[in-house]
Amino acid sequence: MNSDHLDTERQDNIRMLAESAQTFATKASPLTRARGLRGSASGFDRSFWGKLAEQGWTGLLIPEAFAGYGQGFGEMAAVVSALATQVVPEPVVPALVFASRAIEHTGNGDLQQQLLASIVAGELIPGVAWQEELAGLQVNLPASAVVAAPTNSGIQLTGEKHHVRPGADCDGFVVTAKQGNGLSLWWVPANAAGVQVKSVALADGTSEASVRFDGVMLDNPHCLAQGDAATVAFTRAYDETLVMASVELLALQQAMLNMTLEYLRTRVQFGKPIGSFQALQHRAVDLHIQQELTSSVLGQAITLLDSGCDPVERSLMASRIKARASDAGLLLARESIQLHGAIGFTDEYDLGLYVQRALVLSAWLGNAQAQRRRYASIANLSI
Amino acid sequence: MSTNPTTDWNALDTEAFRQTVRTFFEQNYPAEMRYPKTRLRWAEIKDWYMTLSKKGWIAPSWPQAHGGMGLSPEKLIVFIEEQERWGVGRAPDMGITMIGPLLIQYGSEEQRQKYLPKIIQGEHIWCQGYSEPNAGSDLASLRTEAVEDGDDFIINGQKTWTTLAQDATHIFLLARTDKTVKKQEGISFLLADFTTPGITVRPIRNIAGHEEFCEVFFENVRVPKANLVGGLNQGWGIAKALLGFERIFLGSPKQSQYALSRVEEAAHALGLFGDQGFVDRYTQLQLDVADLSALYVRFVEQVKRGEKLGPDVSMLKVWAAETFSRLANLLVEITGGSGAVAGDIEVNGKKIDVLTSFYNARPATIYGGSSEIQRNIIAASVLQLPTK
Repeated sequence: MNSDHLDTERQDNIRMLAESAQTFATKASPLTRARGLRGSASGFDRSFWGKLAEQGWTGLLIPEAFAGYGQGFGEMAAVVSALATQVVPEPVVPALVFASRAIEHTGNGDLQQQLLASIVAGELIPGVAWQEELAGLQVNLPASAVVAAPTNSGIQLTGEKHHVRPGADCDGFVVTAKQGNGLSLWWVPANAAGVQVKSVALADGTSEASVRFDGVMLDNPHCLAQGDAATVAFTRAYDETLVMASVELLALQQAMLNMTLEYLRTRVQFGKPIGSFQALQHRAVDLHIQQELTSSVLGQAITLLDSGCDPVERSLMASRIKARASDAGLLLARESIQLHGAIGFTDEYDLGLYVQRALVLSAWLGNAQAQRRRYASIANLSI
Repeated sequence: MSTNPTTDWNALDTEAFRQTVRTFFEQNYPAEMRYPKTRLRWAEIKDWYMTLSKKGWIAPSWPQAHGGMGLSPEKLIVFIEEQERWGVGRAPDMGITMIGPLLIQYGSEEQRQKYLPKIIQGEHIWCQGYSEPNAGSDLASLRTEAVEDGDDFIINGQKTWTTLAQDATHIFLLARTDKTVKKQEGISFLLADFTTPGITVRPIRNIAGHEEFCEVFFENVRVPKANLVGGLNQGWGIAKALLGFERIFLGSPKQSQYALSRVEEAAHALGLFGDQGFVDRYTQLQLDVADLSALYVRFVEQVKRGEKLGPDVSMLKVWAAETFSRLANLLVEITGGSGAVAGDIEVNGKKIDVLTSFYNARPATIYGGSSEIQRNIIAASVLQLPTK
C-alpha cells in the first residue's frame, strides 16, 4: 500500500518490519504449507499460531497497558500483508484485529485484561459472531434475532450467528446481542453449555461457522459492553477490520498480478510471448490500475486509522476501501485465470490459492456491493 | 494592483498562499464565466488574461527572472487547485505552459528575449502544431517538412487538431528535417509567426457544434533559421522533455467531480435517489471519483517531494478520463427520452444540461495521448511486457 505520507522514520521502521515479516512468512509458511492445510480439521495449524506469538505479532496492535506492543495499523498492515502473500490460513485478521479490537474498545475491566493478555500470549484465538443474515447485502449493525434476556439465574443468550471466522478451533466469541432496545457485546467461550458450532467449508480450504446459542447462560463478568458503548466499540472494530481485510486483498492482488505478468512475458504462442499482444497488454494494464487504486486508497485509510478521526469519516473510508479491494480482488482473480488459460484453472498451479482466498475475503464482512450500500446510507445520514 | 515581482511566494506557508490566491480569484474572476462549458475564446478570456498579467500571475511556473511567479511544484499545485476550485476558465495557454518553459530550458537568449515578454504581456498567443492527418497516436511519423534554404527553412505540410489556432498569433511545430534516419531522429522544433505568407488556418467544427480546433496548412512558408529551437533534428527529444509534471493535471479529479455533481443534481430533480438500481450505480461512480482523488494525491505528493513523474502517471489519465466518461454516460442514460436534447432540459423546475458532459468526455480519452496509447505506455514501461 502507498505509505508516502508517513514520516520518514516510521516509514523506515515499517519497511524493515515488512521485510522481516516477508522473510519469516516465506520461510515458515511456504505455499506448500497453505496447500497442505486446506480442508484439514481446523483449516489451520495451532502450532504456527505459537510462532506468530513468538514474533510478537499476536500482541502487535494491543496496547502496552494490556501487555501488548501498542503498534499502529501501519505496522500491523506490514505483517498482515506478508502473511497474506503466503496465503497463510491462520485467522490473523479475524482474531487479532476484529475480535481483539472489539474487546479492547470496550474498556479495561478484568474480562478485557484477561482476554487480551491471553491473546498476546498466543493462547486464545477469538472470533466475532455478529452477522445474522446468511446471504444478502445488509451490513447494518444486527441486533435482532440474537437476544440477551434476563432470567432469574442470569442473562440468557439465544439465537444464531453466521459467517464467523475462524470456523473451527475458535476459543470463544465476541457476540453482538439485543438487550432491551440496545445492543450488547458478550464474551462467550466456545465450550460454554448451549453453544453449537457448525463449521462451513470455504473456498480456500479454511472454514467459517454458524454458531447457535441455545439458552447460553451468562453472568455479568461476561458482558463486554452495553448500549451506545457496545455500538461504538463494535463499529470501530468492524471498520478497522474492513481496512485490514483490504490489506490482505491488496497482497493477493499483487501476487496474482505478478504471476500473470510473468506468465505473459514468458508464455510463447504464435512464435512470440503472448504479453506482446496488445489486447492482452491492455487487460493487464486495467488490472494494474485497479491494484494501484486499491493501494492509494488503502494508504489513506491506514493513515486515517492511525491518526484517529471522526467515526463517520472512518466508516465511510472503511467501506470505500473494502469495496475497492473486494471488486479489484475478484477482477484480478478472474482475469488472472483467463490470461493464464487452462493452467490457471488447475488445482496444482498456485494461482488458485490466491483466487480462492480472494473469494473468501471479498465476501467476508460484506462484499463490494454491500459496502457501497453501507457507504451510501452513512453518507446520506451525515448530509 | 500589480504585486512586487520579487515576492517570494515559496516563502509563504501553503495555507496563507492558498488563501491569497483564493481571495484574488474570488474577487476578480467574472462570476458569469465560472465553470465554462467549453473552451473559452481569446475574445472572452482576454480581460482575465490581462488581469493576471498585470498582477504578475500569468506565468505561475516560470522563474521570476522571466516574469513568472517562480512557484515551487507544491505552490503551483495549490495555484491550479484554486483555479479549478473556483471554475476559472482556461485561456489559450500554450505560451504559458508549453513554449515558455521550453524556451527557458532549450531556447537561445535571443529567442527568450524576443518571445517570453510578449507571452507575459498577452501580445503573442501560441498554439501547438504536433498532430497531422497521418500522424496522431504515431506522432513520430509526421510528414510536414522543413527544408534548409540559405538562412531559412521552407516549410510545407499540414497540421491538424490544433487547438484554438484561430486565436493564435504564433505556432510551435514539429517538422521533418531529415528523411534518411530513424523517424524520431529527423524531427526539428520550429517556431512560426502566423503573419508569415503561406500559412492558412481553417477552423474545424466539432460534433458539439464548437470550433475549438483547426487545420493549419503550410505552403512554402519561409521561416528564419533563428526560429529553430535546440539543435537540428533534436525536436523529438525536446517535445518529449516538455511532458513535465503538468501531465498530472490531465488526471485531475475536478472534471469528474463536476460531472458527479451534475448527475447528483439531475438525479434529485428526477427523484432517482429512491431507486436502488440508480443508487447502486451512483455510489459506485461516486467511489470511483473518490478513489481517483486518492490516486491523484499520490502523484501530487510525488511532485511536491521534487521527484520526477514516471510513466506510471499514465494510469491517472486513463482512470480520470474514463471515470469522467462513465459519469457523462450516466447523465445521458438517466434523462431517458430527453437524453438527446440540445441545450438545457427542465425537470421539476431544475435546468439540466445533458449533453455538454457527454461531448466533453469524448476528447478527454483522446487528447494528450489516447487511453489506448496510455495503456501501451504502461504495458511497456511499467509492467515490462514485451514489445515483440
